[in-house]
Formats: sequence, structure tokens, C-alpha cells
Amino acid sequence: MRSEKWSLTQEAFNGLLASLAPDRDVAARRYLEVRKNLVRLFEWRGCSTPEEYADEAINRCAKKIGEGEQIRDVATYCIGIARMLLLEMSRERPKEARSLDQAPEPHTLPTEPGTDPERGVECLRRCLAELSPENRDLILNYYQGDKGEKIKNRKGLTELFGIPANTLRMRALRLREKLQLCAENCIQQPETMPS
Amino acid sequence: MRPEPINEMLLVKYLLGDLSEDEQVRVEDRAFADADYRRALDAAEADLIDAYVRGELLPVERRAFERRFLISPQRRKKVAFARDLAIVAAEAKAAESETFIRLSAWQTLVRFVRGWNPALQFAAGLAALIVVAGASLLAFQYAGMRSRVAVLETQRHNLETRTEELQRQLGEEQARAGNLAAEVRQQQTAGVTPPQSLIASLLLLPGLSRSESRREQLVLNPSTQIAHIEIQLEPRDDYPRFRAELRTIGGDEVLIRGNLPRRAATSGYTVSVDVPASALAMGQYELALKGILNDQSLQDVGYYYFSVQKQ
Repeated sequence: MRSEKWSLTQEAFNGLLASLAPDRDVAARRYLEVRKNLVRLFEWRGCSTPEEYADEAINRCAKKIGEGEQIRDVATYCIGIARMLLLEMSRERPKEARSLDQAPEPHTLPTEPGTDPERGVECLRRCLAELSPENRDLILNYYQGDKGEKIKNRKGLTELFGIPANTLRMRALRLREKLQLCAENCIQQPETMPS
Repeated sequence: MRPEPINEMLLVKYLLGDLSEDEQVRVEDRAFADADYRRALDAAEADLIDAYVRGELLPVERRAFERRFLISPQRRKKVAFARDLAIVAAEAKAAESETFIRLSAWQTLVRFVRGWNPALQFAAGLAALIVVAGASLLAFQYAGMRSRVAVLETQRHNLETRTEELQRQLGEEQARAGNLAAEVRQQQTAGVTPPQSLIASLLLLPGLSRSESRREQLVLNPSTQIAHIEIQLEPRDDYPRFRAELRTIGGDEVLIRGNLPRRAATSGYTVSVDVPASALAMGQYELALKGILNDQSLQDVGYYYFSVQKQ
């Protein structure tokens, strides 16, 4: 990512919001949506600091607006800037990738420093207990088993719930995201003795 | 117009970085324009992460996955969550199998009775009813007496349990004290054994490791995944961004990281670099730290030397 001397000012941010929508509340919502999409994009592309890169893309866009450039579609423009940033990023990558390809294979999953892996499991159990029995059964069965078994489980679930496979997939995904959020919040909280 | 069907394989290839730039742009543009497609990508990501934690990916896919998914904190959280979910789902499956076995025994009996002719079924049902009614009457008569005995029995049992618990706790405390004493003795005689951490840390200080005369040591144990190298800056090193170039002492490039921000720490400013442990072999390394100026030109900040030891 190219380091710029320019940093986002209140005035430039106001200009960016005005370009997104005349109404400030609507503009704020669109801004959050644009940023979320940028973070997604950098994450999809395997960037180590997606949020930092998303902010850099927004800053560059705000700077252009501040310089008087007329941008019709800020969201698309920001994605364009993001792709330029990705190109800059990829110029530094090949060397790193080559060395890793030649390196021996890691065998275990990394964990964040200072986190207890058991705590994650314990928090997930607690969060699962908060789900309705139907949703709990659904998510546990949906993500249970290895390749072949998983396919069989999922087919059984579509028959059990009487819904198409894709609807079931989206329902399981929503539950998974909800559970992950719950577990992450639980991990952040001070540890209490299990009852 | 009917929407174009979703190609799951394409999504997986995209997530693993196995598509051309044009193909990647097409996937992304469709994801931003079509919420269903975006959700399908999210679902494909969840399945891919699950496949990774279950060890179902091919070696080439696993390497690509690790390069793309273990690099950002957000994605590492997703991987950790998937690992926890796999553990909890396996527990649930084990519990389910136990229930299934118990149910099967009952179902076998029911199937057996269903094989009889209706008259026999009726007679068996009536007999069962009489047995149940008789047993209930007897149970009712004994219930009062048993409850009084049960109270006394419970009191005695509680006392016994409490005594056992106290004895167990005493035994555990004694054993713990013994272990601690042994550990202290061991540490005093043989030095402290480093914990088996997945992250190994190394702090490079200005003035010390900048010269080749003194080498810091980074110890990697078999479970180490990431080497976290933190470089302490001097006050004059006030560049907006930094670039770290890690190479072996023989000059072979290992890794380059650009645009590293400096971070405030209690003792001044630091720059940190995370290096996959798999990229580090045993030997001597040189880390060149450069400041990036606003015009993108580079200025040397220092050269740091350290050695890697593997346990």
C-alpha cells in the first residue's frame, strides 16, 4: 500500500458523504456499506490487514472528491481504487509466496496469542445452548461429519425441514454467523466458573 | 431473465486465489451486485474452512488456503471457530449415537410384538396393563416407607461424599505442592523450559541486534506456527511506514513486508513482522529495516541479526 502524506479531514469526509447521498443519514449508511464491501474484497483477496486497506481506498476516494473530481458512483470508484491497491500489494507478494511453497508444511492450526483453545469450545457450547432445539439440531447436523457423511446429513435435513437445499444452506450460514459472533463476545468476557 | 447458475467450483477457486485477475474481478463484481451470489460465496468460504480444519484439502489447496486465510486476524478467527464447531459437532454426534442405540433396543421389541396376531397382541396388552396396575399399587404402598429410608440414606451418603471430597482435595493439594516443589527444583538445576507456544516472539533492540557482533536467538518448537518479530525503534526513526526485508546470512531472500506501521509501546515505538515459522530454517538471518518516505523512497533504518534454533 502506498503511504500518502494526505490524511482524511472532516471536510473531506463531509464531501465524501455528500457524494454518497444528499441526506446525511442515508449517506452514513451507504458509507458503512461501501467500507464493508471494501473490507470483504481485501479479505477475499487474502490481504493481511483488510480494514487498513479499506480505509486507504476510502481516503484516496475522499481526496479525489476534495480536489473537485466529479464521481458519479462512489462505491464503484472505491472498488476501482481497491483493485489498484491490490495490484500494488501483489507486486510485493511473489517473493514471499515462492519461499513459502518451498517451505515445509505446517501441521497445526495457529491460535491467537493469549487465547485458550478450550475457552472457545466452552463458549461455543454456551452459545449453542441459547439456540432453540430446532436450530441447535440444524447447525450441529449440517456441519457434522466428513465429506460423504456431510452430504448425506444435509440431504436428510432438507427432507426433515421440507426446504430446498439452498434455503437450508443459507439458514445454516446465518446460524453459524450468529454463533460465531456470540462465541467471540463470550471469549472477550472475563472467564466465569462453569456451573 | 434467469440468473446465471452459481458455479461452486469457481467460488472455491476464487477463495483459494486460483483464478486470473479478470475472473476474480468477474466474481467480485457479481458478488457486489447480487446479494444471493455474495451469500453463496460466504457459504462456500464456510465449507472451505471446515474442509481445512477437518484435513480434507489436497496439499496444494491447503498451502493456498494457509496463504490466504491464516494471514488476517478476521479469517484466523473464522478458522478457530470452525475448529471449535467441528469439536462440538463431533461431541453431539457421539451423544446422538448413544441415544440411537437405546432407541434401537426399544424399536426391536416393538417390531417383535407387531409380528404377533391381533388376539395375541390384545392378550399381551391386557397382561401388560394388569402387571403395570399391580406394580403401581405395590409401588404406592412402598413409596411412603421408602421415602423415610431414603431421607436417612441421603443424609448418610452426603456425609460420606463430603468426607471423600475433603480427602480428595487434601490429596490433590498435597500432590500439587509436591509437583510445584519438584518443578522449582528442576528449574533451579536445569533452567526454565519454554512453553510450547504456537507463536514464538523475538524482540530486536536498537544498538544491540543492529550490529553483527551480537545475535539474538529465535527458538522455534515443533508446534510454532508464527514467529512474531518486534523491532524497537529509536526516536529518530519517525518514518510513516517501514519495510522489512528478511534474508538468510547468505543473502537468500526469505520474506519482504512493506507498509508496516509503527506502533506506540510503553518504551517508545516498535514495528512488528509476523513470519510463518515454516519459512524459517535453522541458521543465521539478517533483517533489514527501511523507512519509507512520502515519495516512496527507502532509507536504511538498521540491520538486525538473529539466529533461528529449532527444538
